[in-house]
Amino acid sequence: MSSNETVAKDVSLEEALPLTQAAYLPGRAYDEMIAAGGAVRPHYEVLQDRIASLGAEELGERQRTLERSFLLQGITFTVYGAESATERIIPTDLFPRIIPAKEWAVIEKGLTQRLRALNIFLGDIYGEQKILMDGVVPRDLVLGAASYRRDMQHLYVPHSAYANVCGSDLIRGEDGEFVVLEDNLRVPSGVSYMLANRDASRRTFPGVFRQAGVRPVERYPDLLLATLKSMASEWNSNPQIAVLTPGVYNSAYYEHAYLARLMGVPLVEGRDLVMHDNHVFMRTTSGLRRIDVIYRRVDDDFIDPLTFRRDSSLGAAGLFNAYRAGNVMICNAPGTGVADDKAVYVYVPDIIRYYLGEEAILPNVETFMCREPSQLSHVLANLDKLVVKAVGASGGYGMLVGPHASQAERDSFAEALKADPANYIAQPTIQLSTAPCLVDGRIEPRHVDLRPFILSGEKVVVTPGALTRVALRRGSLVVNSSQGGGSKDTWVLAEEAAARP
Amino acid sequence: MMLARVADSLYWIGRYIERAEHVSRLSAVMLNATLDRTVGAEQTGRIGLAALGETDSGRANQTYEASRDLALDRADSGSVVASLAAARENARQVRDQISTETWERLNLLYLRITGPGAETDFDDDPPGFLQEIIADLHLFKGAADTTLSHGEGWRFLLLGVHIERAQLIARLMEVCFSDRKTPAVTEPIALMSVLRMACALEPYLREYTADINPRYILQFLMFDEDFPRSIRFCTARIQDLLTHLAHELGAGRSNALRLAGRLDARLKFADADEVEASGAGALLAAVSAECAAIHEAIYETFVAYPLELSLPA
Repeated sequence: MSSNETVAKDVSLEEALPLTQAAYLPGRAYDEMIAAGGAVRPHYEVLQDRIASLGAEELGERQRTLERSFLLQGITFTVYGAESATERIIPTDLFPRIIPAKEWAVIEKGLTQRLRALNIFLGDIYGEQKILMDGVVPRDLVLGAASYRRDMQHLYVPHSAYANVCGSDLIRGEDGEFVVLEDNLRVPSGVSYMLANRDASRRTFPGVFRQAGVRPVERYPDLLLATLKSMASEWNSNPQIAVLTPGVYNSAYYEHAYLARLMGVPLVEGRDLVMHDNHVFMRTTSGLRRIDVIYRRVDDDFIDPLTFRRDSSLGAAGLFNAYRAGNVMICNAPGTGVADDKAVYVYVPDIIRYYLGEEAILPNVETFMCREPSQLSHVLANLDKLVVKAVGASGGYGMLVGPHASQAERDSFAEALKADPANYIAQPTIQLSTAPCLVDGRIEPRHVDLRPFILSGEKVVVTPGALTRVALRRGSLVVNSSQGGGSKDTWVLAEEAAARP
Repeated sequence: MMLARVADSLYWIGRYIERAEHVSRLSAVMLNATLDRTVGAEQTGRIGLAALGETDSGRANQTYEASRDLALDRADSGSVVASLAAARENARQVRDQISTETWERLNLLYLRITGPGAETDFDDDPPGFLQEIIADLHLFKGAADTTLSHGEGWRFLLLGVHIERAQLIARLMEVCFSDRKTPAVTEPIALMSVLRMACALEPYLREYTADINPRYILQFLMFDEDFPRSIRFCTARIQDLLTHLAHELGAGRSNALRLAGRLDARLKFADADEVEASGAGALLAAVSAECAAIHEAIYETFVAYPLELSLPA
């Protein structure tokens, strides 16, 4: 019997992608579209046919239309310069990244399992702390983490759903298997790009979209609303929900307004909130109105100056007391960050085994804990091969990509490592998978990751879609938007695309 | 039910877009007039600048430079670009409350006037540039009218539009006619320009024929019942909008409503002959002052009300 790869059309690369003068060269990494032998993967065939029928000029025109529509909709972030502020769109690529149904089924099961375990874990460490007693996760690692909130100890959280919205970052290694790079349980963003990219790709490739059988993502806002409602359902069947934003100067403001608009709930800022008698009210034109559930897009540190950072003016003084009194739900719960800490990450497979008695469906990336002296010396000896990350940092900051760094950068990072080893972890440099992108009129492979969004309330729901982030510089492995990354739409197919005759 | 901050922003969007439209129109009329070398053209330039608060009399013969600054100078808070930027910033803050269609019209306009090509576009064809802004603002208002719910938010938006408009027209009339002994405008060409500045030439002609005289202009722009840029029309709308809002929001005894009712009555029952005999200056000044007072009262009633009164017992 022939394998999938030989069933697929056997075409030379130049023929498949006439646009590229030098052929599309996937390189060492796993390519989403082209299999190792040079054949187009079956689930990409429909798209590839369409691309081949369009010229460079037409593709460029579609790309420009796409960018204009983003600018017009105001899907921008602001770059503050010395004197003026300019608005930029996040670079967006017109080719969708396609995931076949079979692969998605694994991702969905794996993430559901992961989130169930992480939520139980959070309930445990803010409750009886059995997992610490049993020594599965080192006590000091959890209780000493900067993101651990002692104030959350013994507070009741309905359904033990601490991380109501999670965006986990998955990557594909060279063998093509998906692994989890990190979980984002605090205030993950990017879901509006998932929805906006989908809107755009439906217009860019309508025929292909129809033919491919793409699963819809448009239900995300109402599923989010249902998740938020379920957090108050035990005592209030029709709670007043609000989205709390740091304000218009936040880089994700567009997303906050977008979600509020699509859920039909008010978008509030700290200055709109009034605390009275441990209840939260918002100031409306007709007086004060009570709020029951707050979907906050403000970090833990800033939500309540009385409990957390005193210099914050983004939250509302007394909000945490109202939460403690059970008069308002804060989603995600404060203190969820401890479960996506880069050091706790190492123990997630153990956490899954401990609570669920199952093996992790989606594996972790091999990780060295610099707090262990033996692993530290291994890391120091192999700095040129590893990626080193600060435990508390995110967004691509505080990170060293060994193979791409200069000797001087490695030396100074080594000093920082030796000074505070517990603050760092290291992982092998993984060649993320690549996907075709339109770059300066040519189709070239660029490294991508995958951020699906998982909602946890009464139930755990994984939206069949994701944000695919793209490292736009050739060879770069860093996809964060703060580091020059872009995005593209992600198509999750309803069923395996049948091999064509 | 609407956040107080949101109502405030919607109100200001209304004010800023009305201001942008008025400034664009005045500049366009001035620029057109300067093509002639007549007394009327000179008068038009002078009143146009005065109505826009340009006190520097040295600029009277530099209409082009003045218009360019009024359109594109971001440092001048009264310029078209500053008003549009402010309107758009307010719209961004209430993005969840306004329809996509409405937002996109305003955003497009903002991107164009702040874009790199704006100055060249202006220099190529200044009146054309300004006319296009006015047309785009009409599109914005049309999109808002046809896609927004005509509820609370809509009323705050329109309140902003009409309070701003009443003040702007009152200011234009004051500049032209408040001094009875030496009126600023006498030339028929300049009088026509005044009507154009209020977008009123054609409706005026239909009402009074081509008999253009200051007395009728004053009557038309102050007391006409149906023309949307007459002061009386604006005050009637303000009163109507506030009546609805106060009713819906349980602010029946609001000071804003009382002030609006009083101002509306003054215009509705004014004796046009008497106003003309004693000079319109007093009434026009009163309109400006009362609008300012209504503005304050709206803020106190719906936005920055004292919390003590609204806390649950």
